Amino acid sequence: MNLNTEADKQNTYDAIVIGSGISGGWAAKELTEKGMKVLMLERGQNIEHIKDYTKATLAPWQLKHRNNLTEEQRKAHPVQSRDYPYQEANETWWVNDIECPYTEIKPFDWFRGYHVGGRSLMWGRQSYRFSDINFEDNLKDGHGVDWPVRYKEVAPWYDYAETFAGVNGQAENWPTLPDGKFLPPMELNFIEKTVKQHVEEHYKRTRIITIGRSANLTQDHNGRTQCQYRDRCSRGCPFGAYFSTQSATLPAAVKTGNLTLRPFSIVNHIIYDKDSKKATGVFVIDAETNKTMEFYAKIIFVNASTLGTAFILLNSTSPEFPNGLGNNESGRVGRNLMDHHFRCGARGESDDFQDKYVYGRRPNGVYVPRYQNIGGDKRDFLRGFGYQGGGGRGNMGGLEKVAEYAFGADFKEAIGTPGKWSMSLGGFGEMLPNFDNRVYIDNSKKDKWGQPVLAVDCTYGDNEAKMRKAMMDDAAEMLEIAGLKNVSTFDAGCTPGMAIHEMGTACMGNDPKTSVLNKWNQLHEVKNVFVTDGSFMNSTACQNPSLTYMAFTARACDYAVNELKKQNI
Amino acid sequence: MQRREALRNFALLAGGGLLSGTTISILNSCNLSAPKSNGQLFSDEEQMIITELADVIIPATSSPGAKAAGVGEFITMMLNDCYPEDVQKDFAAGLEGFSASVKKQYSKDFLSLSSQDKIAAVTQLSNKTIADQKAGDKDPNAKKSKHFFPIARDLTILGYFTSEIGATQAMAYVAVPGRYDGSADMKPGQKAWAPDSGWGTDNALKS
Repeated sequence: MNLNTEADKQNTYDAIVIGSGISGGWAAKELTEKGMKVLMLERGQNIEHIKDYTKATLAPWQLKHRNNLTEEQRKAHPVQSRDYPYQEANETWWVNDIECPYTEIKPFDWFRGYHVGGRSLMWGRQSYRFSDINFEDNLKDGHGVDWPVRYKEVAPWYDYAETFAGVNGQAENWPTLPDGKFLPPMELNFIEKTVKQHVEEHYKRTRIITIGRSANLTQDHNGRTQCQYRDRCSRGCPFGAYFSTQSATLPAAVKTGNLTLRPFSIVNHIIYDKDSKKATGVFVIDAETNKTMEFYAKIIFVNASTLGTAFILLNSTSPEFPNGLGNNESGRVGRNLMDHHFRCGARGESDDFQDKYVYGRRPNGVYVPRYQNIGGDKRDFLRGFGYQGGGGRGNMGGLEKVAEYAFGADFKEAIGTPGKWSMSLGGFGEMLPNFDNRVYIDNSKKDKWGQPVLAVDCTYGDNEAKMRKAMMDDAAEMLEIAGLKNVSTFDAGCTPGMAIHEMGTACMGNDPKTSVLNKWNQLHEVKNVFVTDGSFMNSTACQNPSLTYMAFTARACDYAVNELKKQNI
Repeated sequence: MQRREALRNFALLAGGGLLSGTTISILNSCNLSAPKSNGQLFSDEEQMIITELADVIIPATSSPGAKAAGVGEFITMMLNDCYPEDVQKDFAAGLEGFSASVKKQYSKDFLSLSSQDKIAAVTQLSNKTIADQKAGDKDPNAKKSKHFFPIARDLTILGYFTSEIGATQAMAYVAVPGRYDGSADMKPGQKAWAPDSGWGTDNALKS
C-alpha cells in the first residue's frame, strides 16, 4: 500500500502535456508559468537546442550526398521520402515509416517527426491569422460544424502568441487576413516589388501581394538572435532565429522550474475513472525499453499532432467510452480530417532589371491573401485560396538557349552567371470539411511496440478540383498583367497530407451531439482533457494554421487553470 | 520521387533548366531495390574515364574544373549510395558502350584522346543519347544506354557546383549573409549565387 502510494506520488503532476511540438510546447510554457507542475511527454528522442543541430553550419560540400537521400534512407522512409522535406541535412528528424506504419485506405502522405520539438523544428514558419470570414464560412455554406468562437475572442490570444513567438510581417488591413503584432517585415526583392505594383494597380487593390509573415526574427527578440539569412531553418537554427519549441517555449517552461520532460514516452491511452468522470492520467510505453508505466495529473493536454491525438483518443477505450475517449455522443473523433491543397500555380520571367540582384537567402516569400468569394468576387467554388511564392534571379546568363545536354566551358560559365529574373505563385487552397474523411483504428497491423495503427481514409473533392483550375489561371493572369514573359501554369498534383497541415478529427462546437470539444478546447464528455493541436480545427481556411494552434493553446491553458482554481475540474 | 525532388530543387536553386527530363523521369520511378552491396562498381580504368568525362562536361576555365573538385569519385559514390541497382547497371552498361565506341572510332581509349577529340567524342555521346531517347523503349539497347550520359552529366553539375571549388570559384557563396537585400546593384563580374542545399525560395514556404 505504502509502496503504491509512493509510486503514485512520484508519477503525479498537476498537468500532463502529451507531445512537444508547436502546441505542446506552448501548453508546457503556459501551464508551468501559471505555477503548475507539468510533465511533458514526447514519444521520440530528445534534441537539445543548438547542441544537437549537427548539420546547421555545414557547407554544401560538407554534406556527403549534397543533401540527397541514400537508398537506405529511402527504404526506411518510404512515406517521408515522397516529398522534399526529408533531406540529408535533417534526416534524423523524420519518423521511421517501417517502425510506425499506418494504413492508407486512400493515398495520404503523413510527414512526421518523433522527437522533442516535433515539426516545430522543420516547419515552414508561415504565420497567419484567421479572420471572421474563416470562422463564419462553416455556418454560411453548411460544410462542417460552426466554429464556436469568432475572431474577436481569439484576437488577444493571437496578439499574445505573436508577441512571444516573434512574427515578422507587413500590416495590410486586408479583410481575410487580420494584421498582427509584427516585427519589421522582410524585404520584397526587385521583381516581387514590380509584380506587386502592377497587380495592385490593375485590380485596384482588390488583390494584394505582401511579404510573407513568418516566425523568423527580423530583430533580436526575447534573448534570441535575429535571422542571418542563411535559409537553413529546417536543420535547426544555432541563432534561435525562428520559433521552435527548443528556441522559445521550452526554455520558458524550463525557467519556471516546474517542467519535467520525458522523451521516449509513447502515450498508448488516457486512463479514465468512471467515478470521478475524469481522466486520471496516461498509460505510457517507454519507446526504448518497452516498459509500461502510468502517470497521473489533474488535467491533460493532448498535443500529439492531429493524427497522433486522434489515435490516442480512439485508443482510449473503456466500458464508459467503448468508441474512444469523449466519443460517445458525437461519434466524431477521427472525423472531418482535412489538409490544404497546393502545388499548382504559375510562373513567369523577365528580361529586364539585369542591373539588379539579391544578396542573402531570405527564408520567406510573398503572400497573396484570399480575395475570392469576398466583395464582388464570385466563383464556381466555395471559399478560396491564397498564394505563396517568390521571385529571384536564376543563372544561365549569356546563353540565349541552353542546348539539350549542353556541356563544356561556355555552359559552365553560363551556370556561374546571373540570368533572368523569374517569379512564381503557388496556390494554397482550403479543403472543405467532410464527415466521410476520417481516421480509425486498424487492428490488423501493429507498430514496433505492438500498438494497433491508424487507417486514414481521406480524399479531396470537387470543390478543391474546381479551385485548382482557378489557382493556376489567376496566377498566370497576375504574372502576365505584371508584364512577365513565358508565363506557364503548373499542377504537380496533390495528395492529402502533402501540405503537412493535417487538421480536424476532434472538432469544436457548442453542441456535444455534433462536436468533440467545447469552445475552450475541452472534451465535452471529459472535462479535464484538452485538445489544442490541429485536431480541434473546424475548417482549414487557406492560411497556414500553426499560429492559430498557438493562440488557442494559450487561451485553453488560461481557461483550464482558472477552472482548476475554481474547482470546476 | 524524393530524388527527383532533390535534384529538381537543385535545378531550381541553380536557376532551372539544368537537369535532363530523362534523368528526372527515370529517377521518378521510385525504385526501391537494394543498392549493390559494397562491391566496387567500376574498375580503375572505368573510374578514370568517369573522372575525365566529368572534366569534359565541366572543364577548367577561369576556375578549376570537375577533376580538381573531385567530381569523378563523387559520381561513383552517389551511384553506390543513392541509386537503385538497375540504374547502376544501366550506367555501367552505358559506360562500357561509350568506351567501346570511342576505341572503335579512334583506335585508342578515351583517356588517351586529345582534348579536342574528347570533346568530339562527348558531343557524339550527347547526340546519341538524344537519338536513343527518341527511339523510346522500342530499342532495348537504346533503352539501356540512354541513362548513362544524363546521369553522368547531372551528377557532374551537382557535384561540381556544390563542391567548395565550384561554389566559391565558379559561383559566389556566402555562408552567413547576415542580411537580405532584394534590390542589390550588380557588381562587375558578379557570379551567380551558388545553391546552399537548403530549402530554396520555391519551397521554403510550407509550414
